[in-house]
Amino acid sequence: MEYVVIQSINALVFAVILLMSGLGLTVVMSLMNFINLAHGSLVLLGSYVAVFWLAIGAPWYLAFPAAFLSGAVAGAVLDRFPFRLFYARTHLMQVLLTFGLSVVFADLMRWGFGAGVATPRLPDVLRGVVFILDTPFPVYRLFVLGAGALLALGLWYLFDRTIWGAVVRACVVDRGAVESLGINTQHVFTLVLALACGLGALSGALGSGIMAAYPGLDEEVLILAFIVVVVGGLGSFSGLALSSLVLGFAMTFSKMIDPEFSNLMSLGAAAAILIVRPNGLVAPVTRQV
Amino acid sequence: MKPFAPLAALAALAALPLLGVPDYHLRLIAEVLIYGVAVMSLDLLIGFGGLVSLGHAAFFGVGAYAAALFATHVSAEILLVVPVAVLSAMAAALVMGALVVRSANLFLLILTLLLSQMVWEVVFRWRAVTGGADGFRGIPELALTLPGGHLALGGPVALYALAALLAVAATVLARSFIEAPAGRALIGTREQPLRMTALGYSVPRIRLTAFVVSAAIAGAAGALYPFVNQYVGPQVAHWTTSASLFIMLVLGGVATLYGGYVGAAIYLGFQTYISSYTERWQLVIGLLFVATVLFVPGGLGRSLKSLAASFRPQGSGAAVAGAEKRRVP
Repeated sequence: MEYVVIQSINALVFAVILLMSGLGLTVVMSLMNFINLAHGSLVLLGSYVAVFWLAIGAPWYLAFPAAFLSGAVAGAVLDRFPFRLFYARTHLMQVLLTFGLSVVFADLMRWGFGAGVATPRLPDVLRGVVFILDTPFPVYRLFVLGAGALLALGLWYLFDRTIWGAVVRACVVDRGAVESLGINTQHVFTLVLALACGLGALSGALGSGIMAAYPGLDEEVLILAFIVVVVGGLGSFSGLALSSLVLGFAMTFSKMIDPEFSNLMSLGAAAAILIVRPNGLVAPVTRQV
Repeated sequence: MKPFAPLAALAALAALPLLGVPDYHLRLIAEVLIYGVAVMSLDLLIGFGGLVSLGHAAFFGVGAYAAALFATHVSAEILLVVPVAVLSAMAAALVMGALVVRSANLFLLILTLLLSQMVWEVVFRWRAVTGGADGFRGIPELALTLPGGHLALGGPVALYALAALLAVAATVLARSFIEAPAGRALIGTREQPLRMTALGYSVPRIRLTAFVVSAAIAGAAGALYPFVNQYVGPQVAHWTTSASLFIMLVLGGVATLYGGYVGAAIYLGFQTYISSYTERWQLVIGLLFVATVLFVPGGLGRSLKSLAASFRPQGSGAAVAGAEKRRVP
């Protein structure tokens, strides 16, 4: 029984990591209709920034804002060139462009940060364990769980409940109408992309305490995030949250059943969802003409 | 296309070993041809069917493992090995195709990725049969039993000739598929799936056919791969191989067929030659890829072709290039 509870908490932690890495993707996908396969690179960038920040002994709690900022700045730059040229183009062209960029960034980061595994030196506050039902559980995982849940809630509030979010959503529906209200939609898109990239980097920083940072992590994260976003139904917060939970639990508990074939089982679970529901768990209502 | 270009390509293929090209280069060219065939088969799906699949390595990998296992345990007779590999890949495509034909766009991309990764997991974990992460070595030489005796096909020239033969056969097959009613219908489903349904076509069935034909060609390419490399590892079925095939396709030109060979030549050429100068060959490939997407979205193969056409009188070549431009997605 204790074992199942602990594994459930682990599954929740993993679901939150999936959710966080999927958030940035889903924001640009749903709000800007842009597919950013370079997202994994930004996640890895955030991980490296956090690892190096913690290594130089600066205040640990600033590592996460630093990672967010690095991602946001990278996003703002990428928005200028070349993403802006591709916002109005087909998904396939966006996929090609950003996939190519992710190959470039992966090699640049291997060059700059080395090919080894970089583990962060966590502060003492986050290092210990707490006892849940007499079983030790790492504090850091609980920290990630709380931070990720807060982040997702905050983001949902921002886009769903504030006037700023309304402007962004309006840009998606009718850019011209928003322009006619005197709002510079290009700035809105830049901000959204910077925010999404910052979120990616932040999720990388939070995840680095569990997964460390190494070349190739960008691809792994990207594929996982992409699977979660697509299984969730492309670009709805509720779908993303639901699919993170489903896949987080599927991956954790399949490891419990049989570590050898756990990946096969969780891949199969994700594939089964897409086969039964070809438009994802929560499909946005669209009209086909 | 004028008959001139294919004839010139055939002549060049036939002449290469006679010109005293070193064995090492023959092997590289054989690999380019094999990857080119795989990319061309992916082009049938992506370029002509609009089915952006990121699971093509599964078919290539199934063909490669089927050929290697059959040659090791049963017989290295080429007339058996290649059909076995092709049939295995087609069987995989029947299953995978039947599961994915209802999906479209990004959903299709992710679903093919998931299913092909499942194939990879099986290959990677089933150590007793596939050798797991270490892969599979000690594959016997291919052989051809003739009425007069036994012909071993292990040398670089023989393998090159097999790859060239494969490339010619696969190109003819792919082109006739595109020209055939089934291929025309496939292009129709790419452009207007709803209208095709209204006309009475079964879109899922057309797409399934495309998957099976494409996998048959990819499986044939996979069949030769272990013999040219003298090794087959789980990497051939991994999604990163699908991604590489995808890169080659875009570099060469989507919806051209011949672009597959151009893309494979550029990619493998860069990999081979630049990696001996610098470790950063992936950076170079990535930048080349981004530059292609930004500046030559039709692919380098297509621009090479229109360059060649511009030297030809009467402008008939330009008309061909113009007609093909419409196919750029």
